[in-house]
Amino acid sequence: MEEKERFLQPASPEERRRYYREEWNVKDIPDFISNSIIQREFGFDHMGRGPNDRYRVFRSMDLLRKFLRYRAPFAAYSSVAFYKKPRRRDGWIKSELVFDVDAKDIPIRECGCAGVCEICLNQAREIVCSLMDTLKGDMGLKDMHVIYSGRGYHLRVFDEEVMELDSDVRGQIVQYIIGAEVPKNEYAQDGMTYKLEHFTIPFGYPKVFTQRTKYAILHLKDHIQIDDINKKLLKDAIKNQDILREDKWGIFKGKIGPQRYQRLIKSIASLNMGLVDAKVSIDLKRILRLPSSLHSMVSMKCMEVKDIGKFDPFQDAVPKFVFERKSK
Amino acid sequence: MVSVAFINPFSEEGRQIVRELGDLNSVYEENGDLIDLVIHSRSQDISDDESIPHNLIDLAIKRLEWYIKKKNNPDFDYKKYSYLYNPKITRFDVIAFYLLSQAISVKFGPNSRESRAMAESQGKLMESRLGELSLRDRKHLLSTILGSLLIGDVKWTTLGDLLSSRKIRLPDLVMSHGNLILDEEEFAESFQDKLENRDSHKMYELLIGDHIKELILNKMIMQKTENYITDVYKKSQRKVEPNPILLDLADRISEVLNEPIISYGYRGTEKKMEASPFDTEAFPPCVKMVLDGIKSGGRNDAIILFLTPFLSYARLYPDVFRRNITLKVSDVDPQLEAVEKEILPLIYEAAERCTPPLFEDQPQEKVNINAKMGFGMHSEIELKHEGETTWYTPMGCEKVKLHLPSLCKPDEICKKIGNPLSYYIRRLNDIKYSKNSKTD
Ligand code: SF4
Ligand SMILES: [Zn+2]
Repeated sequence: MEEKERFLQPASPEERRRYYREEWNVKDIPDFISNSIIQREFGFDHMGRGPNDRYRVFRSMDLLRKFLRYRAPFAAYSSVAFYKKPRRRDGWIKSELVFDVDAKDIPIRECGCAGVCEICLNQAREIVCSLMDTLKGDMGLKDMHVIYSGRGYHLRVFDEEVMELDSDVRGQIVQYIIGAEVPKNEYAQDGMTYKLEHFTIPFGYPKVFTQRTKYAILHLKDHIQIDDINKKLLKDAIKNQDILREDKWGIFKGKIGPQRYQRLIKSIASLNMGLVDAKVSIDLKRILRLPSSLHSMVSMKCMEVKDIGKFDPFQDAVPKFVFERKSK
Repeated sequence: MVSVAFINPFSEEGRQIVRELGDLNSVYEENGDLIDLVIHSRSQDISDDESIPHNLIDLAIKRLEWYIKKKNNPDFDYKKYSYLYNPKITRFDVIAFYLLSQAISVKFGPNSRESRAMAESQGKLMESRLGELSLRDRKHLLSTILGSLLIGDVKWTTLGDLLSSRKIRLPDLVMSHGNLILDEEEFAESFQDKLENRDSHKMYELLIGDHIKELILNKMIMQKTENYITDVYKKSQRKVEPNPILLDLADRISEVLNEPIISYGYRGTEKKMEASPFDTEAFPPCVKMVLDGIKSGGRNDAIILFLTPFLSYARLYPDVFRRNITLKVSDVDPQLEAVEKEILPLIYEAAERCTPPLFEDQPQEKVNINAKMGFGMHSEIELKHEGETTWYTPMGCEKVKLHLPSLCKPDEICKKIGNPLSYYIRRLNDIKYSKNSKTD
């Protein structure tokens, strides 16, 4: 227990200064920022009361380096937007497409912890992986970067064809990749209607929905409360999890009963809305935590994740000063 | 063969027809060829001379009237408009299409309800026309037109406009590695290994098939119509005087769009909704929530983008989504009395109840409230500034759920509506009904 107490505690001003002086290196800022530094707006939170020092611009990486070294801010951010005049947030050119998966907001959390912990951070990691699969397999997006944000992940997409999309389309992309609505199950042709359940369609949106629903059902625990799902239904869904593990959806649905099954997937669809923070994705002028900077609330490094399969934040994103803290 | 311009006025054939028109004044001339064609169209009702267009302007008006009547009049008699389904009409119809679009551009501009009605009428007409053709003609036209609009591998992002205007929804599209899957061979190639022992042809027909192609074609042409109106509008801004023929036509367009309210009232049980004082009882959960004040983030959007349009339309023009005409606030509230005594006070109160109170740290947001009601970016509401900005229509539920998810706490009535304003109208009618039945 003593071990754990050192982690996830806020960083003191002194620790912040040490971090930026001794551990941080301007080279840790990813190329996708340094290549476009003059087109981005930067924002800082100096006192831990929110990023109210905004509209900052830097003409070079060296100036940014000096600023961070000297000021050791509580938090640092940069815009997802590229501007002609970043100082006035004017002359919008394009914006990264971003998805924010915050571990503490995951709708069905196995851990049930109060903040974030290893279990829900790992869930966040799994969710990011599945979102990336859909973005790639369905939408053909390739230029994606994953950032560990300190309490979850930012997925940042740079493919040119999506960077100019407006927020309405971005909102729809979010809804598509998270499975926010139940796919229709009746399809018409030549005046006849055919029933096709989402799990019998191995492509397109129904497939995405099937994957997200499977993930949700397999993570159900009996302590979890869900609107419209009573104790009995929850229990039955949990009891039959193994059937779903083998993708035997028809049998699963049979065990639950068709009407209760509809109720179950409808609730899960609305829960899926919480998989990513849609507000972040649709906001073209958002600022996001700067990779390499310190998340002072939890004393974790915000950093680019090169191999998401192997990433472990408690190994890779803990600054040195945390290990040197004395346990209280 | 049926000309592609019958379906797509933007095709090369369509443009050729326009180039051949020559003098614009000829659109008022009695057109013998047109009349002849109309009265010889299959199942055309010729008992009433009123229903026969005599010149191209008549035809333009009829073309829009067809859409409005079909939409609003339960006793719509399509035999009066049979000629619109006759492929031979194409060379006149294309001119009528351009006349309407241009008249709407110069008088009402893009994003107007008139412009939307135009795009919708074009979409509906296309749909009906394709439906009347033989299967062979239909397939042929569909693949020719789509083939000329979408060339080679089609990325889903080329439909960005259609997605943005919500003409098409992402879940309706089938994509693989960024490409839109429309053809059966492509479909089989992309998903063969996943389909295992399922009937690939049937799957294709059900999930994609001609209906998705038709949907895309239809919406693309609607979008092109809107874009065309925008283009003409931009060009007309540079010119001094629009052509009087177009202005005259624009007036007649207004009459056509207004007609349903005058002559048919509303469909079925829907009654006309007059502007009337607020009944806060009837507000949907999301509006009640904002009126109680926003305690966490998102104050600005909730008050400015959500509440202001809702309250102003609920009070002044609750029927906005059921009518095809754009109004200004002063059309309904000429002295701006309701605005100042009823609408603004409610908005200001809600802003005051936020934590922290919205105008305390951001007094400049008052300007944005005025702007959303169409009064430009000014600190005072004044008639002389009206029109500098547009009067924002209320957000739909889907948008609320996305942008301001914490506001939406749906109840039973919410299941039946798609916009908080419809919720309000529904409840108002229910309340009125229950009051009446009590007193009776
Ligand atoms: S469903 Fe619509 S009307 Fe109901 S609370 Fe949500 S946003 Fe408001
Ligand atoms: Zn946890």
